[in-house]
Amino acid sequence: MSPRIPHHLLTLLCLAASLGARGEGLHNQIDVLLAKDWAAAKVRPAAMSSDPEFLRRLHLDLNGVIPTAAETRAFLEDTHPDKRVRLIDQLLGRPEYSLHMARVFDVMLIERRLPAVKSYDVAVAAWRTYLAEAFAANKPWNALVREVLASDGSDELQPAAVKFYVSRDADPHQLTRDVGRVFLGADLQCAQCHDDPRFSDYKQADYFGIYAFLSRMSFHRDAKLNRSFISEKAVGDVSFTSVFTTEQGKTNPRLPGGEMIADPMLEKGKEYVSAPTSTARGVPVYSRRKQLAEQMPRTETPGFARNLGNRLWAMMLGRGLVHPLDLHHAKNPPSHPAVLSALEQWLVEHRCDIKGCLREIALSRCYQLSSELPAGSEPMADAFAVAPLRGLTPEQMRWSLLRASGRLDASFMRAEEQLKKTKPAEVEAKLKDWHWVKENYEALEKATTTLIAAFTPLPGTDDSKIDPVVDHALFLLNNPKLMDLIKAAPGTAFDRWSAFTNPAAMAEDVYLSIFNRLPLADEAAEVVKIVSATKTAKDRAEALQPLVWGLLLSAEFRFNH
Amino acid sequence: MQTSLTRRQAIARLAGAAGTAAFAPSAIATSARRKQLLVLFLSGGASQLETWDPKPGTKFGGPFRAINTSLDGVRIGELLPHTAKIMHRLAVVRSVNSNLPDHEKGHYAIQAGRLAPGYPVLGSAVANLLEQPGDVLPGYITLRRAGPKAYTDTGDAGFLGAKYEGVRVIDGLPPENLMVPAGINAAALQSRDAVRRAADQRFLRSHAKAPINGYSTTFDQARALMQRREIFDLQAESPKDIERYGRHDFGKNCMLARRLLEAGVPCVRVVHFDWDAHQDNFYWHQMRCAEFDRTFVTLLDDLEQRGMLEHTLVVVTGEMGRTPQINNLGGRDHWGRAWSVAMAGCGIKQGIVHGATNDLGTEVKEHEVGIGDLFHTYLTALGIDSSADYDLNGQTNPIADPAAKPIKAVLA
Repeated sequence: MSPRIPHHLLTLLCLAASLGARGEGLHNQIDVLLAKDWAAAKVRPAAMSSDPEFLRRLHLDLNGVIPTAAETRAFLEDTHPDKRVRLIDQLLGRPEYSLHMARVFDVMLIERRLPAVKSYDVAVAAWRTYLAEAFAANKPWNALVREVLASDGSDELQPAAVKFYVSRDADPHQLTRDVGRVFLGADLQCAQCHDDPRFSDYKQADYFGIYAFLSRMSFHRDAKLNRSFISEKAVGDVSFTSVFTTEQGKTNPRLPGGEMIADPMLEKGKEYVSAPTSTARGVPVYSRRKQLAEQMPRTETPGFARNLGNRLWAMMLGRGLVHPLDLHHAKNPPSHPAVLSALEQWLVEHRCDIKGCLREIALSRCYQLSSELPAGSEPMADAFAVAPLRGLTPEQMRWSLLRASGRLDASFMRAEEQLKKTKPAEVEAKLKDWHWVKENYEALEKATTTLIAAFTPLPGTDDSKIDPVVDHALFLLNNPKLMDLIKAAPGTAFDRWSAFTNPAAMAEDVYLSIFNRLPLADEAAEVVKIVSATKTAKDRAEALQPLVWGLLLSAEFRFNH
Repeated sequence: MQTSLTRRQAIARLAGAAGTAAFAPSAIATSARRKQLLVLFLSGGASQLETWDPKPGTKFGGPFRAINTSLDGVRIGELLPHTAKIMHRLAVVRSVNSNLPDHEKGHYAIQAGRLAPGYPVLGSAVANLLEQPGDVLPGYITLRRAGPKAYTDTGDAGFLGAKYEGVRVIDGLPPENLMVPAGINAAALQSRDAVRRAADQRFLRSHAKAPINGYSTTFDQARALMQRREIFDLQAESPKDIERYGRHDFGKNCMLARRLLEAGVPCVRVVHFDWDAHQDNFYWHQMRCAEFDRTFVTLLDDLEQRGMLEHTLVVVTGEMGRTPQINNLGGRDHWGRAWSVAMAGCGIKQGIVHGATNDLGTEVKEHEVGIGDLFHTYLTALGIDSSADYDLNGQTNPIADPAAKPIKAVLA
């Protein structure tokens, strides 16, 4: 059975339906609701974004990298009234969308965690391929989560999806916490030891209700196959004691607010498909863990669709409507409850369609506001009345540095040339095929590990609080790997820039490449001044280096704005 | 991510660096007057029963004796013989009830002085609150051995932002990339920096200031570190002094901490690992205390001799204590209900023991102290009004938990 085709068709149908209802649509709902909140709180929103602002932001959010100079120029010169809508659909349709989403959801789901024995981890490449495949097919979120929670590493189930468990050493307590945080937006950690005194919504029984789904599992390393699996027992009950009240409880698997799920009665001696031994993993006939995979990823589960809506919103707007993303409870209400409800409702009606939801958010006025402050005021971050300055994630930083310096496109150009020589008939199809695009990104990934390592925070952190620190500055100022990007080499931007004999045209190309906008008059004059005394391309490259380097170090480059 | 340079190589490279601004002694003299903070963090949770609050001969007391100290009538664990001789200079709180028997939560909450997430930890908070115009060195530097325990770095600056993040110095290695790249002339570097600053000035005119200034600050910090990288060179210390501090990672980090404080870094934290003795608690505490005891006293002596202790608050804490009950592996487990914290230096009364636990050490008996109280106390000792608010873009947030208060009894 392949679940991919029906999902895909359904998504198309849903997309068609939402397009038909233009003028209504989620994005209009968002705009109306926010306008009401702004009026009530006397908040003046920023103006609409300029074309360059919108273009750069959208490329970073949907494709994970700034646009090229050529793309920038084409968009700025496009006079079609619907050009923003077209760009949204164009970027959502690119292979880079699937690859970018695979990176984003990798960090969201794994949070850069590593198992105690690093070499036991599921390879990043296999896991990212699994995710890219899911996003290329626009697999609904509930289906994706179901696969992730059901996987035990075996070939029948998505084997790479077991990374969610493996990266956490299959530790039931860590997983209980992270299942709550990542999929339901609730951090039940304090409730592990007692009812959370801060939030009446988090009960110790809720924590142990989820824990009971997971408590029978353990990590299993198959030394022969050299692979990691999940082992599970058919027995084991969960009881707990409050450290405050010494009140005791006993629980079967139960989702917060749901009913306890009783284990089926199995004949004694027939509890296992294969019983656990010292070398073999256990596979029970009845798996509580698979019950979690079955029961939790449903839009009926309280918090499930809302958490997705909140996380997609945060991906596009820099912070959640509930913030932090994993602390949804009565004392930390959403900043705009009606907007969150609208997102949740939309996702329920559209079967957790991630791409469709991102499209709606991108279409909203809120997303398309400028990051320039409205005159005389600085609205609070949770008003969403001005586009925030968001530090580029490590991946966005890496790819944007490679793009601005021309390295990314030079590399793809070479791959395309090669393809034209060897398989001319397939060129067009390959360029649209995320597998081919991914292969070519991977080649560059290997060559630029230093670049990303410099910006990557510690294991256990996600991308919601990316802040520049002094280590980044030292890297940007002094690391030889960065120097490689800002010197002339065949096919790079430096070569292109230094070939210009008209300084004004050169200035335009430099600014379109790095800031994705045309230079201001004084900026252009500065470039002209720098290069006017030079005679050869080599001289020009040398003269340009400090300028390009300085621009790459500036806040305008470092932030998604 | 393992760095390819050994410490020795890195230092050799630094020592060979040409054209670096010398580490000016005058800078020490002028910057040393300000109040400073040193946190010695016993990560994993030291046992109060083997250290500050022994209960020898009782049900949970364990095998070690208690010894007399320089403070009349006060006894501490025999594993801290050097510390016992300087008890008259310390303030020890024996009645901490944090009720957080968890590493990750404890690490954050003990250092942030509250449970609610998103607040700056002590080092970041003090870096912000003691900041002076013209400061360029990072406000907070945290020193530790490379270790698998990522939670030692959780928390950090919270809503204060990147500028107040603890700069991590791992295994005494200076931050990477302190050297100007080869083959680039000084004029090009100057011109690069001028371009960056001009671009940021233009971007600042119409955009939110905090993130842009925060980013810009990281470049100022980078330059300051590049100019003063000699701070990290322990080779400048005599072998005798290195011996006094101890040749283990904690000793070296404490020596480096002293150098950083001397150079004017406002807040420094040294993490001492491996106190999480779920098995063989008594063996482990022998090992850990032996390292801690001598180094701690050496460090305090040095700070005092150099006239630094009067303006430097020293805090000795972990994220929790350990259970009085001894488990069947001879270990003590996580425990937050009755444990101890020690302080010395700036703003702290000398030679005082505050609060007490019951005879078995299972509960606080008098003067119970919470994590918020400790946080208020540290700030007050540093001359900071702990009842004040942070004011960030018009959003006010109490510096310390308003429901808690400073412990007057330990404040000078």
